[in-house]
Amino acid sequence: MKKIIFLMLTVFTLLLMGCGGSKEEKPQAEEPNTSGKQVLNIACWPDIIDPELVSAFEKKYNCRVNYDVISNNEETLAKMQAGGAQYDMIQASDYMVEIMIKLKLIDKIDKSKMKHVHNMVPFLRKPAYDPNGEYSVPYDWGFTGIVYNKKYVKKVPTSWADLWDPDYRNRVILLNDSREVIGMALKKNGHSNNTTNKAEIDNAIADLKGLMPNVMAFDTDTIKQKVIAEEAWIGMMWSGDASFVRNENPDIGYVVPKEGGVIWADNMLIPTTSRNPKLAIAFIDFLFEPKNAAKNFEYIGYDQTNLDAMPFHTEEFRNDPVLKEARDNANKGEWLKDIDEAIVMYDRAWTELKSGM
Amino acid sequence: MKDGRLLLAPAMGWLAFFFIVPMLIVVAVSFASRTPYGQVIFEWTLESYQRLLEPLYLRIFANTLWVSFLTTFLTILMGYPLAYYIVQLPKKWQQPGLILVMVPFWINFLIRSYAWVIVLRSQGLINSLLLKFGFIERPMQLLYNDAAVMVGMVYALLPFMVLPIYVALEGLDWRLLEAAYDLGASPFKAFRKITLPLSMSGIAEGTIMVFISSIGMFIVPDVMGGAKTVLIGNLIQNQFLSARDWPFGSALSIVLGILSLILIFLYYRAINGSKGGAQNA
Repeated sequence: MKKIIFLMLTVFTLLLMGCGGSKEEKPQAEEPNTSGKQVLNIACWPDIIDPELVSAFEKKYNCRVNYDVISNNEETLAKMQAGGAQYDMIQASDYMVEIMIKLKLIDKIDKSKMKHVHNMVPFLRKPAYDPNGEYSVPYDWGFTGIVYNKKYVKKVPTSWADLWDPDYRNRVILLNDSREVIGMALKKNGHSNNTTNKAEIDNAIADLKGLMPNVMAFDTDTIKQKVIAEEAWIGMMWSGDASFVRNENPDIGYVVPKEGGVIWADNMLIPTTSRNPKLAIAFIDFLFEPKNAAKNFEYIGYDQTNLDAMPFHTEEFRNDPVLKEARDNANKGEWLKDIDEAIVMYDRAWTELKSGM
Repeated sequence: MKDGRLLLAPAMGWLAFFFIVPMLIVVAVSFASRTPYGQVIFEWTLESYQRLLEPLYLRIFANTLWVSFLTTFLTILMGYPLAYYIVQLPKKWQQPGLILVMVPFWINFLIRSYAWVIVLRSQGLINSLLLKFGFIERPMQLLYNDAAVMVGMVYALLPFMVLPIYVALEGLDWRLLEAAYDLGASPFKAFRKITLPLSMSGIAEGTIMVFISSIGMFIVPDVMGGAKTVLIGNLIQNQFLSARDWPFGSALSIVLGILSLILIFLYYRAINGSKGGAQNA
């Protein structure tokens, strides 16, 4: 009897651990530094830096890099606000950079100390979220466009409205992100994806409710698998993911719809609490060294922000039809901006959409 | 006596620090306000609790309770015969039987959910087999709907129903059944009058564990339901992440906690009640 109860408790604990399964591991930052080496604590997305480059940097600078994997901006923000996590360098997307600047969580970066970050893709030199380009080093960028499978989608999509085609019942995939999805419907209706106008948002939600019979799933983390396995026929996808998917399944196509969409960039940032900003700057610069940058982006498959690295890329990468489509249409993109209080309105609308009310 | 209490100090200290203090913080945050960037400021308000009463959120609560109820019902329906079967096995097979029930727990739950995706998706195991043998012409949509969510929930929580029922049945005095047969009871009547009432405590315990686990579940609806439904667990997760509304998320968590406490209270009432009933009978 006691044995059974013990077993049950064990099982229960395991289940609870399982529920937290999506969480990253504990930061290793607090480990005592026994080797006497310098330590660089960074927080970045999963799979966004080639591990070989990290090792190369550790060797070159005789240091240790603690890579804390974080999978979304809000988690980074929460950790920074809590104050416990002392990162030397972090990664965040455009709108989050804006928030972190306002909250004074990140420092200006002395770009004169860097050699390789000066030949940026033009529209990332002074992006809307960091108008003087002082706080952020844009690292990778992309465009949220339409991904589709040519086997099932016979007519090349041109507009977000094509997702509403009744032929795609239960076959449309959307990102699991309120701003992206509501922003997509806003764009379809010709509005800004940063609107705080309630009528426009209500309209977008009404349209999205009409899209629900077509929606197979909302997914951000495993969206690639669903498209590769041809579960989803058409949907919205980041260009970097679409490029990956196309390499796995040649039937995949990607277009930037005529109404435009979200353009985004992930940035390297230095928190105000960084204990080793010098090493952080060296690390960013190391990643931007043209040869390193080329190697890195061949590995991660997202698009490069460093024009100097382009000549070192393979022909395949430079002419990747997905990345090219995004580059050629970058001017149709609109950055998602922080919308202050209106985020509550978006969240409510999102909950309404998903709970079918 | 005094020394004995001293021995409790580490455990009490641990609980106080890692359980009670965080709990109090959650309570405090649920009455706090937030800035547009999600910073919690301690200007006290009941706003988060008032928001809970809006029809939108009440309906999510109702829907969650419904899903949990259905999960519990199905786990009883499937778990009871399984537990009964294991109890009937020869002694040496019982422990292996129980271990088989628990083996899946050795693998992370998130991974097991994705394993279900691989089995059920359109190019998955089931669809491929059915296509190959010509039972269907196009893959069936087995995933990303309410039924798939239910499959995942029942799968995840079934052991919590099987184990307590097994414990209850194991302690059952089978001579009572023999007596019932001797007195001419049909197998069904003997089950209804003896086995079922005497294993009620196991069912009640399993119900509590399954129900409470399922009202907080958020992985299954996301992974197997295609994130198309919102249960309280998903709502709470959203408040702490994308909506950056920690006070509302905390208030939701508190209400969820209170709900669980009420259920545990009802469980103890039911257990004591059923024991009394058995004695009277």
